[in-house]
Amino acid sequence: MARNSIQNNIRRLRFEADEMTQQQLADAARVSRQTIVAIEKGNYSPSLELAFRLAFIFKTPLEEVFLYDPEQDKGKKG
Amino acid sequence: MTYQEKQNVVNMVSGLLITAVYALIVFQKHQQGVFDLTQDYNKWGVLFLIFIGVSVAARIVILIIFHIINAIATREEKVPEEDERDKLVKLKAIRNSYYAFTGGFVLSVIGLALGMPVHWIFIAFVVVGLIAEILENSSQIYYYRKGV
Repeated sequence: MARNSIQNNIRRLRFEADEMTQQQLADAARVSRQTIVAIEKGNYSPSLELAFRLAFIFKTPLEEVFLYDPEQDKGKKG
Repeated sequence: MTYQEKQNVVNMVSGLLITAVYALIVFQKHQQGVFDLTQDYNKWGVLFLIFIGVSVAARIVILIIFHIINAIATREEKVPEEDERDKLVKLKAIRNSYYAFTGGFVLSVIGLALGMPVHWIFIAFVVVGLIAEILENSSQIYYYRKGV
């Protein structure tokens, strides 16, 4: 299910990283392009390891890549 | 449609086909009197073991054919490696399949307790197994499309 409480700036960061393609990012992060698409759309929240890997690829802090919205998280279990 | 989604569709269709063809052959032999499945319960064991072997072999052949056709159609020879999202999707789909199989098994046992003929439980195993497999593959397609 989509976890809207976690948003991301991957699309913007890709654009800023010399218009990096989803496939290039997927190869660098060692995941499939579909996984990058799902993360960008907010359909999949990556593991902590993959999140850090993405931040490392963009040479930026984790909170610059992923944002947590507590308002969206209200009433959710787990 | 992604590679994984196509593979799930192939799995579902091949599972249905293999089970249907095998069930038809067994039913015909039963009707011809080659064996009596309402009385000979040991035969069910033999038939299940043969079914597992036939099913595994047929699936391997079908998957090879699928890979070849997919490689020709998409010009993509490499099979995509499984990443963490694929593993999570698979895990959740297996959970759904497990729930379906357990539910079906419990219902079959209740049926047995209520006086259903014993050979029906074997038929129920086949049907429940097939439903569980279809649910596993359709769950994977659902999670790939809607998110996990």
